[in-house]
Amino acid sequence: MKEFLVVKDLEKRFPINDGKSELTVFKNINFTVNKGEFVSIIGHSGCGKSTVLNSLAGLDFPTEGEINMLDKPVIGPSLDRGVIFQNHSLLPWLSAFKNITMAIDCKFKDMPKEDVEKRAIHFLDMVGLKDSMDKKPSELSGGMKQRVGIARAFSIAPSLLLMDEPFGALDALTRGKLQDQLVEICDKTQQTTFMITHDIDEAILLSDKILLMSNGPEARVAKQIIVDIPKPRSRASIVKHPAYYEIRNYLVEFLVEGSEVIKQQLINGEITDKNFPIEVNPYKKK
Amino acid sequence: MKEKTKAILLSLGLLVVFVVIGELITGTGERGGDNLTEYQLLMGMGEKQAHVPGPIEVFKLGFKEMSHPFYDNGPNDKGIGTQLFYSIARVLAGFSLALLFALPLGFLIGMSPLFYKALQPYIQILKPVSPLAWMPLALFVIKDSIMSSIFVIFICSIWPMLINTAFGVMSVKKDWLNVGKTLEMGNFKTAFKVILPAALPTIFTGMRISMGISWLVIVAAEMLVGGTGIGYYVWNEWNNLDLTSVVFSIVMIGLVGMFLDTIIAYFSKFFVYQE
Repeated sequence: MKEFLVVKDLEKRFPINDGKSELTVFKNINFTVNKGEFVSIIGHSGCGKSTVLNSLAGLDFPTEGEINMLDKPVIGPSLDRGVIFQNHSLLPWLSAFKNITMAIDCKFKDMPKEDVEKRAIHFLDMVGLKDSMDKKPSELSGGMKQRVGIARAFSIAPSLLLMDEPFGALDALTRGKLQDQLVEICDKTQQTTFMITHDIDEAILLSDKILLMSNGPEARVAKQIIVDIPKPRSRASIVKHPAYYEIRNYLVEFLVEGSEVIKQQLINGEITDKNFPIEVNPYKKK
Repeated sequence: MKEKTKAILLSLGLLVVFVVIGELITGTGERGGDNLTEYQLLMGMGEKQAHVPGPIEVFKLGFKEMSHPFYDNGPNDKGIGTQLFYSIARVLAGFSLALLFALPLGFLIGMSPLFYKALQPYIQILKPVSPLAWMPLALFVIKDSIMSSIFVIFICSIWPMLINTAFGVMSVKKDWLNVGKTLEMGNFKTAFKVILPAALPTIFTGMRISMGISWLVIVAAEMLVGGTGIGYYVWNEWNNLDLTSVVFSIVMIGLVGMFLDTIIAYFSKFFVYQE
């Protein structure tokens, strides 16, 4: 299969101490995303996940390395890459409907007004918000706002969807509902997606592949976990699959102590950057 | 009883108290006699002693003035409506001109840190200058008293609008700008679709402040340049020793000021958003 997105030797350094020295947030980040694949990235705060995602979006720029999407370098923001921001980022002076039509107008410049409106309603309907389309973001609950954000991102039919902790700010019940909704939409659309999350269960539910980042500074994408659970999945059924707890335990273990182990192995020379990311299928291992 | 009704009743109650106290402390001035010639009346002999008018006296005059607000008996005797009209027209002219300059300039300063730093000293120095200090220079350069007073309004109302526009533009959330970026909006489109609507509430606040200051300044400016306008009217009535008209003007200036503010507040309602 042709690789859709290739991230090669990504490195980000920030000047510190008034520019006298540099802090390397992450380095030697390598991974690929195939077409139709759902990839999540998990890591502790400060490891630079958001910078990786913003670099993919073209909103931030890595110090070293390159990102290629369909063999074209990513050098700036593009309508080919939709972003769902953590805090929904709807424009508060526009209604839910107008927030989406604005996005569609930007992507499909020659689309007639009626079609734009039909398309906007279609995507609002997809997230179950057709009845609230004329409400301003301030009149919507947190979960509803995030759903409008999802509808907006899907409405421009991006080749790659980027999500920065899309449900991080929501309560557990709302989050669960939205996760189910997202599973359904992603199954239907075969959307290629890259997501940052802190939620292990969310990552397993949605992903084909989970990238694990070690702790910063000098964080790496150390492991690549294959989620070997057939789709379609649902929150209710996935926990019954034998692979679920194998994967879950593996992830928890990595987050608790794996990062330190990796660091030690690097120092001892047991592994080098060339090994990263180490591919693991916790289910098959047994 | 609702809070609003209570507030109205309390306001009316306070009005009664003020009127009663006003009547008690002002008194009515002794009349000089009944059969005075017009010349004697003009010389202020109608009253033995000038006095601050009481509320009822002012109200009577107000009623008389408001029943013919636009009369014109020559340069020294025009209706209060005519005078207010002149003042409002000047304020609107100077204010609109200032808005025309403040908006684009504010956008420039707000969007470009370079211009912000470069223009900051000029703004900080010019802003605290009393607009009336510009008057002699304006009179000399423009050579027209009406245009000079419009210039003075321009120079005093530009600062709040300029600073608020720049501040509004600067504090547009980065997330919203990122939305514009990911939708591949150009600079022009971002300015109109994202920055302007985001900054409008702040800009309107600046407009309200500017309008308030303009209305304060026009009275003083017209006292200086004379001719027409409510400021001239107040000073003219002081020279006529007609304190009743002076007090009446004060009330009218207050009412018009409130009216001007209400108009802008009304329009700003359409652009205010909640996050």
